[in-house]
Amino acid sequence: MKREIPILLTVLCGLAITWAFFSQAEVSKAVNAELLSWAIIFFSVAFLLGISNLVRISLKQISSGHPDRIYKVVLLISLLGYLGVGIAEIHGLIDPVATGTTDSAGQVVFNDSAYQDWIYFRIYLPLQATMFSLLAFYIASAAFRAFRARSFEALLLLMAGAIVMLGQVPLGDTLTFDLASRWQDFLMKYINAAGQRAIIMGAAFGTLATGLRIVLGIERSYLSE
Amino acid sequence: MATVSNFDRRWIFLAMGVLVVTLYAAKSKSPAPQLEYVQAYYDTIEALPANSVVMLSADFDPASAAELLPMYQATIHHLMRKDIRIVNVATWPAAPPYTRTEFNRTAPQYGKTYGIDWVELGFLPGDDVAMALIGSSIGSAYSEDARKNEPLETFEIMNSLGDSFEGVDLLITMSAGYPGILEWLAQVGGRYSATILAGTTAVQTSDLYAFYPSQLNGFLGGATAATRYLELVAEQTPELVEARDINQNRIMIQEWAHMLILGLILVGNVLYFMGRGK
Repeated sequence: MKREIPILLTVLCGLAITWAFFSQAEVSKAVNAELLSWAIIFFSVAFLLGISNLVRISLKQISSGHPDRIYKVVLLISLLGYLGVGIAEIHGLIDPVATGTTDSAGQVVFNDSAYQDWIYFRIYLPLQATMFSLLAFYIASAAFRAFRARSFEALLLLMAGAIVMLGQVPLGDTLTFDLASRWQDFLMKYINAAGQRAIIMGAAFGTLATGLRIVLGIERSYLSE
Repeated sequence: MATVSNFDRRWIFLAMGVLVVTLYAAKSKSPAPQLEYVQAYYDTIEALPANSVVMLSADFDPASAAELLPMYQATIHHLMRKDIRIVNVATWPAAPPYTRTEFNRTAPQYGKTYGIDWVELGFLPGDDVAMALIGSSIGSAYSEDARKNEPLETFEIMNSLGDSFEGVDLLITMSAGYPGILEWLAQVGGRYSATILAGTTAVQTSDLYAFYPSQLNGFLGGATAATRYLELVAEQTPELVEARDINQNRIMIQEWAHMLILGLILVGNVLYFMGRGK
């Protein structure tokens, strides 16, 4: 029964979702919406599982004196601190009205999560922006060290990359007498789009075949078989 | 003699840093080139009649804000200037603080009322499942809004929209990756024959050409397209002139950064072949 019930559920849910895709009947729409709502509930529960697993592993590494334990402490403080502020604001333990959004007449329109937003805009946002902007430096360094015309294929890749980079900015057109953007357009619209479509179609057929195998109970790897 | 392997890469970091800071401080500007798919994005919104309903999905986080936030801001201005109503959703958990701030700032400029002209439904977990549910039944996806925590039926905009996606005239996603435009196309685009526009990072742009113009009516790919769109919208929206100028400065920085990288590739290859010759 440990195998049969999950397979039966998978087959039934798969068939119901497939039926809803093609049917216009109200009942099929209702079943579809209900199943999707369940999936979102499972997804949300997975967040809790993820958090509990993260806390468990971090605590284990802190207690065992792992070399990275200081980062685990920072992680736990950030995680629990932000969670705590959020829960406190939801339950009114911190008064968000004092910093609520007002309209042009000065009336409070929304009671925003002021403290959560402060953490978001003053800490999280600059950290993420900094991490992402570092890419500019690493891409420049990587281009110098690794982007080599070692073979004919690598030369083609290099030339395509150079054309797209030139075609993307006005200066590139100025330097190439308006050729860069035209060549870039040709590469992206025809060569790239044709390749992308072939890959997408291939992946779609693969997904369809895998989906059918799961719905028909042939593919059972999700049961760790 | 310097070789690629023993060259200290901190010189490259320094060159890039000096270049970016100098051009940023100089505030010199460069207009963006005309782009067909940006014009298509602009024209699709222009063609919408007043009181149409647009679902605007924020599928990004601060890491991609440099590219996507200017598009997002310009899109809200464009829609509100044309009296188009907006249903604001998000499939990325880090997006709502941004979207909230932008709506707080923009809606009063156009005298727009919450619940009538726009509504924020907020973040929905579940990635492409969430998108499928929004397409199938908005009422099943969201029981209440994210700003006032009140049932959807208390808002005029939601009552006129109804439960199905057929009431949505246009879907616009600001997409930084997964879940994003590719999932919206798969879950909602074909199934409900939805008209879709997208703003994406430059890295993701190459994926979109395969869908344009049949499934995707127009798109903004990267900072260059964002600037071009800002230029188009700012022509009739004075509130966006400052944002347009800032982005034109970014284009200037970007084009010289591109030149630096191309120069480095060239020098790297020359050194490589010189070293191989020996």
